[in-house]
Amino acid sequence: MTNKSFFSTLAILGTSLGLASLAGAAGGEAPVLPKTAIELRDSGFISNSTVSVWIAVALITLFCRIAAKKITVVPAGVQNFAEFVIESLYNFFGGILGDHLVKKTFWFFGSTFLLIILTNYLGLLPGVGTLGWGMDSHGHFAEPLMRGGNADVNMTAAMAFTFAVLWFVWAIQENGLKGFLAHIFAPKGKFNGLMAVLMIFIFGVVGVLEIVSIAIRPVALSFRLFGNIYGGEQTLEVLMFIGGSWFGWLTSLPFYFMELLVGGVQALVFTLLCSVFLKLICEHDDHDDEHAH
Amino acid sequence: MITILAAAGADVAADANLLDTFGVNWKLFTFQLINFAIVIFVLKKFAFGPITAMLEQRKKRIAEGEEKLKRIETQLADSEERTAAALEKANADAQRLIEEAKESAAALSEEKTQEAINKAQDILAKAEANAKAEREQMVTELKQDFGKLVASTTAAVTGKVLTEEDNKRINQEALASVEG
Repeated sequence: MTNKSFFSTLAILGTSLGLASLAGAAGGEAPVLPKTAIELRDSGFISNSTVSVWIAVALITLFCRIAAKKITVVPAGVQNFAEFVIESLYNFFGGILGDHLVKKTFWFFGSTFLLIILTNYLGLLPGVGTLGWGMDSHGHFAEPLMRGGNADVNMTAAMAFTFAVLWFVWAIQENGLKGFLAHIFAPKGKFNGLMAVLMIFIFGVVGVLEIVSIAIRPVALSFRLFGNIYGGEQTLEVLMFIGGSWFGWLTSLPFYFMELLVGGVQALVFTLLCSVFLKLICEHDDHDDEHAH
Repeated sequence: MITILAAAGADVAADANLLDTFGVNWKLFTFQLINFAIVIFVLKKFAFGPITAMLEQRKKRIAEGEEKLKRIETQLADSEERTAAALEKANADAQRLIEEAKESAAALSEEKTQEAINKAQDILAKAEANAKAEREQMVTELKQDFGKLVASTTAAVTGKVLTEEDNKRINQEALASVEG
């Protein structure tokens, strides 16, 4: 059988299967994952997304402890891989932030990136959302033990608002309070006379817009990450429903690969945007370029 | 005013509804905030700390190694330069010494030759002087013997006892005839 005829057969089979499944599923309503994380056993503060985050943190810490157990100048084995990962991240953020800032802030960006990517990938593993307490009408657990860590807006908001606070701290440390305010409100360039008055007014208005933009950033960061991860999980859920009990794994399989990509890209986007925001406020030259963003 | 307040109230209600829709829960948010702060502290302390410190240490060692290598290369170049200069100087010195030795040997040889010539000349002069002195002595002795012979012959022939003055006169005449 040639490759072409093999793929044609597979496509026909897939289409037939999809149509059959849709026909089968037409009677029922597609499941909708709850948008909110659930407080586990009415604990009041521990949600099922928290459990996923703890597992991710435990795995990262365990990996790094193993890597750093017998740390040597000439690396080998796990230390080699850990150094490769951390050094790659360090160089990546160093390329954006510069030597001085990356030395100061890498602990935040490195931790956040690894936490997001690992939490995203853990959310794709079997067991997340399928172990817990109680049953709903679709056969799902009413109180799952785990939920994708970033499919909880409280988690993504916690990361984004922590960054927002650190952004202020670092910005004021680097520029001073006066420099920080001047960075936002002061006219860029040298003007005289009436033009100076006009520019002070214009840049004052631009500064107010900048403040609004700064205030919106953590909200945008939170919802971007939450939306992508929650959307991915919902997509997988619907595709599994379309495939039915027997072929759910097949219909969702291609999207698992896409979710692997999305998980990495979203971790990158979140930390990349954070590092760019920091770089923009800490950069002392080319202010005009910064505000072009 | 009432309309505005009512609209604002409706907006607040809509916002609260929006937050509820996405599951924003202040209690969970606060806990996640604390959770995340603990997470980044733990990762900083136990995960990134030792590895970044090692990376930094290695970077420092590589930089130091590079610095040392540069220093060694500079020192090697200096050393090679100094060695070459020393070799050149040694060669020049050796050449100069050879030249000097050659010149010195030539001068010494000349001096010794001259000395030998002088010595030979002295010996020759001495020999000539000796020979001359011996000859003069012999001539003197011969003259004396000849004078005596002439005086004795004269005394024998004449049978006359010659006075001192006669002897002197006869000797002078005889010598004058011999020398003349």
